[in-house]
Amino acid sequence: MPQREFEITIGKTGEVELHVKGFKGRGCLAAAKIFEEIVGEMKSQQQTSEFYEPEEQVQYRIDQRH
Amino acid sequence: MSAVCILTPVVIMAWPAFSAAVVAAASSLGYQVAAEVKKGLPSSEIVHKNTNAVKLEIERSEVVTNQLGRDQRIAVSREGVTVTFSRDARGKAALCVTGNGQSDETLRALGEELSQAVVQQYVYQKLMNEMRSRGFNVVEEEVTEDRSIRLKVRHWEN
Repeated sequence: MPQREFEITIGKTGEVELHVKGFKGRGCLAAAKIFEEIVGEMKSQQQTSEFYEPEEQVQYRIDQRH
Repeated sequence: MSAVCILTPVVIMAWPAFSAAVVAAASSLGYQVAAEVKKGLPSSEIVHKNTNAVKLEIERSEVVTNQLGRDQRIAVSREGVTVTFSRDARGKAALCVTGNGQSDETLRALGEELSQAVVQQYVYQKLMNEMRSRGFNVVEEEVTEDRSIRLKVRHWEN
């Protein structure tokens, strides 16, 4: 179960700066969307290098034994 | 780090939440609650001689209320300056700043400082309530020198 971390700064004007951490790929956009719903409108969004990494995938290998 | 977003708040709240945000913001800036009444608070309407008044509104705000709550107001004061918050005819949060001997520019600056603090308090309370209900865990919280509120939040995902 991955842990996600968010750094939130509520400026003195009420504007919110949100750093979304621990995501790879577009998952961070879904997380940011949650905060957009809570706070109001997305003014700007900047992706960092991790955004362009492949999304996390869980692979299972099942061996059948007779 | 994956993304950095800037969010602009949209303030939609009922009168009790609005007046609570006003009280919290006002006390953080050294104001005291002067009065909270349903109708007829005089300070914003009756302007005495030598008293200046500046009217402002909180952008992107809506104070939701029923018919009975439309005339509610709350006034806070500090060092001869009184700021009266109310809901205007369009439902927006409005404030009237009055003071004896202060210029309009000074009153406007004081009003803007306080209204911004109200929005900050609203955003803080809303974020805390919503994050708690969604299972987010606040692990750090601090108020910085420039009066920003910094939160570090963790969430485990399935």
